Amino acid sequence: MSQAHAATVESVSTGIPSGKLGMWVFLASEVMFFTGLVAAYIVLRLGHPAWPGPEGHLSVPLGTLNTFILICSSATIVMALAASQEGKLSGTRGWLLATILLGASFLGIKAVEYSAKFSHHILPSTNVFWSCYYTMTALHALHVLGGIIFNVVVLGMTGNAQAWLRRGHLLELAGLYWHFVDIVWIFLFPLLYLLS
Amino acid sequence: MSTATPPSPRTYLAIWGWLAGLMLLSVLLSELPLSGRTIALIVLALSTVKALLVALYYMHLKFDRRWLAFVAVFPLILVVVAVGVVASSRLVRL
Repeated sequence: MSQAHAATVESVSTGIPSGKLGMWVFLASEVMFFTGLVAAYIVLRLGHPAWPGPEGHLSVPLGTLNTFILICSSATIVMALAASQEGKLSGTRGWLLATILLGASFLGIKAVEYSAKFSHHILPSTNVFWSCYYTMTALHALHVLGGIIFNVVVLGMTGNAQAWLRRGHLLELAGLYWHFVDIVWIFLFPLLYLLS
Repeated sequence: MSTATPPSPRTYLAIWGWLAGLMLLSVLLSELPLSGRTIALIVLALSTVKALLVALYYMHLKFDRRWLAFVAVFPLILVVVAVGVVASSRLVRL
């Protein structure tokens, strides 16, 4: 374990670093937020006598590619954490940069999808399916953007080895948040693209 | 503080392989000529497995203190209760 991680361990009395516990409590509220949205979607879906669906306007290959990108990004950020725990700062930097680029790719593909919908005049007001689609995917995309910003801030800290000793534990928090964003998409993708 | 040693990079890569494989399996299964309900159950079960793999291995819940997992699971219990109330309101009109 690196000195940075050891420092955070020493600062706790609960057995879990305060920052990590705080992030988990925050993620618990996020779980409530997204599962509430998904539950509302399922209730609407089951209660609607003639569910409109995407009617061929959602690209399963693009959705699959985006899912694969997020899965890869979860792997890269956990590899960044592993590199940090081994004291390999350059490795940490590389894996973190890869995570940021993958996250940006996800948003780029999502922008292409949105653009295609808008060009076909498919808007949130089109019908109940598209209302749900835009609500859930836009809120998820905002969370991806937040995760990218968090990762960029942590990446900036890798430039100073002394600062990394004090703040390196933030990488674990960024990772927890990023994995949560991945888990949300793991459920949104089948619900919207495969089962709609 | 973890109660056990975190997994090695090799384990992380193995989990990545499982996640990618299960994702492809979900896509392929969704194309099978089965009833919508059957496909939905299978695909959502696979999604749950993927989410558990991420939470247990990438978020280290498997290696952290057990009560941290309770923090993660507790809101799900509340959501189940909330959805149960909504669903029951369709059966029981007050």
